[in-house]
Amino acid sequence: MSSETLSRYSTRLFVFLFFAYLFGPLIIMSVSAFNSASFPRVSPWECFTVEWFDVLLNDSRLMSGLQNSIVIGLGVVCLSIPLGLAGALMLTQVSDRYRPWYYTIIISPILIPGVVLGISTLIFWDRMGAMFNAGYQSVFYDGIILTIIGQSTFVSAYAMLIFISRLERFDSAQEEAALDLGASHVQTFRKVLLPFLKPAVGSAAVLAFLASFENYNTTVFTIVSESTLTTVLASKVRYGINPSISALAVIIICLTLVGAVYFEILKRRELKYEKDAKHIAAHNTSDRAQRASLVANPAMIITTLVFLAGFGTIYMAGTQGVGECKADFKEQKRLQRDKKLEARKLIVEQQRKAREESSAETNTRNAPNNSKTNEAQKNSFGGMFTPGNLGSTVDSNEPEKEKPSKSQPIDSGSNGLFSPQNLPKPAN
Amino acid sequence: MVNYWKNFWLKNGTGISIYLIGSCVLWIVLMILLPQLFMLDFSFRHNLPPADIGTAKDVYTIEHYKFLLFGSEQSSAGYNEIDVGVFFRTLLAAFFVTLFDLILCYPIAYYLAQVSTGGWARLMVLALIIPYWVNEILRAFAFRIMFGTTGVINDFLMWIGITQQPLDLIRDNIALYAGLGYAFILLMIFPIFNAIESLSKNQIEAARDLGAPWWRIHWRVVIPFAKPGISSGCTMVFMLTAGALAAPQILGGPSSLWFTQIVYQWFNTGSNWPRGSAYAIVLLLSTIVIVLLMMKVFKVRLGEMTK
Repeated sequence: MSSETLSRYSTRLFVFLFFAYLFGPLIIMSVSAFNSASFPRVSPWECFTVEWFDVLLNDSRLMSGLQNSIVIGLGVVCLSIPLGLAGALMLTQVSDRYRPWYYTIIISPILIPGVVLGISTLIFWDRMGAMFNAGYQSVFYDGIILTIIGQSTFVSAYAMLIFISRLERFDSAQEEAALDLGASHVQTFRKVLLPFLKPAVGSAAVLAFLASFENYNTTVFTIVSESTLTTVLASKVRYGINPSISALAVIIICLTLVGAVYFEILKRRELKYEKDAKHIAAHNTSDRAQRASLVANPAMIITTLVFLAGFGTIYMAGTQGVGECKADFKEQKRLQRDKKLEARKLIVEQQRKAREESSAETNTRNAPNNSKTNEAQKNSFGGMFTPGNLGSTVDSNEPEKEKPSKSQPIDSGSNGLFSPQNLPKPAN
Repeated sequence: MVNYWKNFWLKNGTGISIYLIGSCVLWIVLMILLPQLFMLDFSFRHNLPPADIGTAKDVYTIEHYKFLLFGSEQSSAGYNEIDVGVFFRTLLAAFFVTLFDLILCYPIAYYLAQVSTGGWARLMVLALIIPYWVNEILRAFAFRIMFGTTGVINDFLMWIGITQQPLDLIRDNIALYAGLGYAFILLMIFPIFNAIESLSKNQIEAARDLGAPWWRIHWRVVIPFAKPGISSGCTMVFMLTAGALAAPQILGGPSSLWFTQIVYQWFNTGSNWPRGSAYAIVLLLSTIVIVLLMMKVFKVRLGEMTK
């Protein structure tokens, strides 16, 4: 009996730890968006602020990247839904002998690494452009169009999987009936098949847009000289991080939460509707009633209100008194630093004395000295701007990476900059 | 064959036939097959300026593959230690990340599918989706915040007294492995969850009634049943981890590289596209081989896996 309770509790602990691993990073990132420290972190907590959201909204590179991302996302939806649908319909008609081959080919974009897809798309259209003698301003070199094509290659496969699972439930007798009654093929397609696939088209479109929106691996190659939200984000994260990126994460997480809640309500309604539909013959009226009640759903209204009230409170709290708080904090930090400096001077003084007295080797002095430098760095901007930083060997990772990359073009600010890999570059 | 197409045409009508065939040709030929073949072709060519392409200088060569294996001709080492080393390290790390995800996800998937019930279980499944829709870059960024020298992890470690000095978790690649394991965790959990969910509770109860201990129930009943889900999850996680670019760029230590990063370098800072293509081909082939191997080991077909 007791071993049973023990196993139950250990299971719960495991589940709890799993969800902590899943949500911990997101929560910490979200919280760091409201800390006024210029390096995204939770501790030490400085001042509660929403200024990073302003920084985010005034970031023109990020905003133009966002625009491109939305354009590309819509383009991918327009291209991948028809392709995915055609792929799924063809699968039902390919002869048995060739079906495995066909399936392997159209499913392969999901399994091929995104990097490879991006590179192959880039090279293919580059070669085609050369073949047609097109200039660098033509469509063959347009980052946005190339990205739409490159992403659609695998997004179509996602859409196709959704269509396949919906088509499995389709009764082709309906189509035959429509044809027998004199409908043309196109009419049958539009009036019988498409309405049946409508939910699948909806979810495939949402999935396609999201997959396109968050894609990085393919985009980074096909985008050429343009930029999307993800490529701007990636270069920002490598170039020098500040909490406005956390602020963006907060917005995305909130949107996802709202979407998930809405999706859940929709699903429950659908389940209930399916149950009801067995009793109610008049589908149309109940459908309309369902739609109306979804908007007027008390739970929905309350959730929205709570969200709005929450935003209002956070905004008020985050804009008022931030200045004073920051000044206070600066003052405090200055005092602390002064104290630290004093203490360090004292220690150095003592050490010098000790050294002068005993002629011990100098090596032992370096270790404690260094550690003190580190201590001081921790309190100011993660040690980014402390002059003592340059000399110290035991150092945090951020400053090392950021300093050199500031003078570099953004793209070359990659981590591999310092690797020996880069040295034998122009071998031929 | 002609008969088949005639039937196809009759069955679908002219308009729909044109749509179906046109779309499939566009997708399969122009977007999947030809780009891969062009990349393959390109990888066997010298790195020439655009003006020289197509002239007499443009001949086939295997120098890029040679470079991947043996390094530049000036180097004294027997083989290209850096690139080959990075290649195998990437595959090995991806393997361990996959294993870590499997060990973590199997119990959770089993718990969600068989043990928990009602609204709570639905809520947990819904909650699983949320981290997945947060951008890949942002997820890596979250780990960067947590694992930095002034991050929460270091604060916690120092607070409980494991260490006095902040550890450099990014240089040690701990942040990278944690972030990679996190990035694709849902692609492991959902296939396994779907597979286990369709297992009838009666089977488990029958095994229990017959006196099987819990581990044997899993070994002989649940795991064999969930095999397609497990292999699908493992394949997806392995492929995505080995092909990941964002997480290694953001979380990788300055001294370590992921194979995709080398490819990226040849394309961007290195401006040697043919060599980059050659490396990409190697990545593509090795991942194909690994998928085939997985299918053989787990004895599943591709169709079962991509459900």
